[in-house]
Amino acid sequence: MSTSLAIRSALPRARLVTRAPALARFATSGAPYAYTPGGPIIQGSVNDPTAFPAPSRTHGSHHWAFERLLSAGLVPLTAAAFATSGSSYPVLDGILGVSLVMHSHIGFDCIVVDYLHTRKFPVLGNVAKWGLRAATVATLVGVYQFNTNDIGLTELIAKAWTA
Amino acid sequence: MRNVVGKRFVQIQSMPASASADILNAQRLKRPNTPHFTIYQPQLTWLASIANRVTGAGLSVLLYGFSIAYLIAPTTFDSATVIEVIAGLPEGVKYAGKAILAAPFAFHSINGLRHLSWDVTRFLTVKSVYSTGYAVLAASAVSTIALVFMK
Repeated sequence: MSTSLAIRSALPRARLVTRAPALARFATSGAPYAYTPGGPIIQGSVNDPTAFPAPSRTHGSHHWAFERLLSAGLVPLTAAAFATSGSSYPVLDGILGVSLVMHSHIGFDCIVVDYLHTRKFPVLGNVAKWGLRAATVATLVGVYQFNTNDIGLTELIAKAWTA
Repeated sequence: MRNVVGKRFVQIQSMPASASADILNAQRLKRPNTPHFTIYQPQLTWLASIANRVTGAGLSVLLYGFSIAYLIAPTTFDSATVIEVIAGLPEGVKYAGKAILAAPFAFHSINGLRHLSWDVTRFLTVKSVYSTGYAVLAASAVSTIALVFMK
């Protein structure tokens, strides 16, 4: 094969001559990787670079904006809860309950992603991620039950604070 | 000639090529880590940051815990029982409990405002980060005292 390459092109003969020994070595030695400039890239070893998630606005900029808007919205909600602590307002309790639980879920999710990432903790990271989601659903149901069947979050805090 | 000269008294194991990754990982688990978190100089920047996370997590654990407890056992955790238990505590314990709840809430809320101001690109110089940080600490202390002795 190398002799036919040498015959076919006369001008870049010097380059082919330096290349041919490498290819010839490959042909006879039985090494698993062909010659590639810079060395072959072996996938599946411990030296693989981390995989980046696909760019998506849902998990990126929109998620960020939603988180900040939610946190900013909690400021007037909390002020309203303090202002109306004498009497009970079910709508305010409902909105505050849902907003607080969503804010807490996003915060817990950041903690899980920072300290128990699935890249490093494949089992425990997934357990934490799905356990958090289950706990958030249970908390939402519990908050709804408490706001409906009992006096509501703002009233409970007001009464417990002055008990 | 080669057979006579080349003998060594070394135990040799036959292993597949994939075992090299396992040996490497086993070695890496035994290697010591360089200290990072334990030796970083305490600074208002990262102390306030981790305090924001810890206070938020603590308050959320309280919210989640109470809600799930009420869901599982509504008669044990209904508001009348809870308020009765709290009313029966000694005065000192009540004030300590209020301080333990008010301090994280005040710090997290006021530091949250600091975070939101960074998100609209305000107070982002080193000087401003430190001055707003001290302002947050002062405001949190005042708010905690106000909350504890409120009503």
